[in-house]
Amino acid sequence: MSKFPYEYYIDIVTKRYFHGVDHFDTDMVMDCFHENAVLREMTSDTTHNGYDEIRGMFTDLFGAHSRIWHGNFVHTVDTQEQAICSQFSVEVTSKETGELLRYENCNRFYLEDGQYKQVFVYMSGENLLK
Amino acid sequence: MQYQSSLNRAGLIELAIDKYFANVDRKYLDGVLDCFHDNAMLTVQTAFTIHEGKENIKRMFVDFMNSYEFIIHRDFTCTVDAANGRIAASFVAELTDEKGAKTFLSNTNFWRIRNDRFQEVYVYMSGANPLT
Repeated sequence: MSKFPYEYYIDIVTKRYFHGVDHFDTDMVMDCFHENAVLREMTSDTTHNGYDEIRGMFTDLFGAHSRIWHGNFVHTVDTQEQAICSQFSVEVTSKETGELLRYENCNRFYLEDGQYKQVFVYMSGENLLK
Repeated sequence: MQYQSSLNRAGLIELAIDKYFANVDRKYLDGVLDCFHDNAMLTVQTAFTIHEGKENIKRMFVDFMNSYEFIIHRDFTCTVDAANGRIAASFVAELTDEKGAKTFLSNTNFWRIRNDRFQEVYVYMSGANPLT
C-alpha cells in the first residue's frame, strides 16, 4: 500500500511533471524520476533508460519546440499499486517550421517512493520523444 | 464525463478482464456486448477511430473476430480507480490469422464505467489498428 494519498499522484503528474514540461523546466521534470527510471514510447518502441537518457530526450524535445501544452486530463489513480494512468491532449509548435501539432495521448506511470520508476507513453501521431 | 459506478475494485477487474476480454478471446459476442451500455462509445485513440453505440461496436467485433483464427489477451497490469469508476489495463494482444501468421500488440485500454457497464472505452495501440 502506498504511503502517498490519491491527490499526490494527480499532483506529480499535472503540477510537477507536465507543468515542468510545458514550461521547459528540465530540473522540475527530472525531479519526478528515479535515477534508474525507464521511459518507453510504446507506439514507436523507443526506450530511454536511466536519468541521463531521459534528461537528454527532454533536452531534445525542448530544443525542437517553441510551445508545449498538455491538458484535458482524465486520470485513473491506483494508490494500492502506486500507479496513475492519464489520458490527455498535447499541442506542440515546431521551432523550425512553426507548425502546430495536436495529439491525444496516454501515459502510464508506475511509482516507487513517490517518484516515477517506469513510464509508458502512447502517442496518437509521430513520436516526439526521440 | 464523470459517471457513477456501482462496482468496487474487484468488480471493475472482473468486468474488464474476466468478462470482457475473456469473452473476446472466446469469440462469445453476446458476452462481450453485455459489458457495454446501448449508447457506449469505443475509441481507438491511436488511430482516431470511433465506434458509437452498441450496434456499431457489434459490427466492429464481428469483423475483428472473423479476421483472426485465435485471439489471446494476456499479461494484464491493472490500474483501478474504484472511487471514480475507472480502470486501465496494459496487456499483450496475440492475434493469429487463418494462415498462422501472428501479430503481437502491447496495448493499453481505459474503461469508464456507468453503473455496472462500460460507457466509454479508449484503446491505445502499439501498432496498426485491427479494430476497424
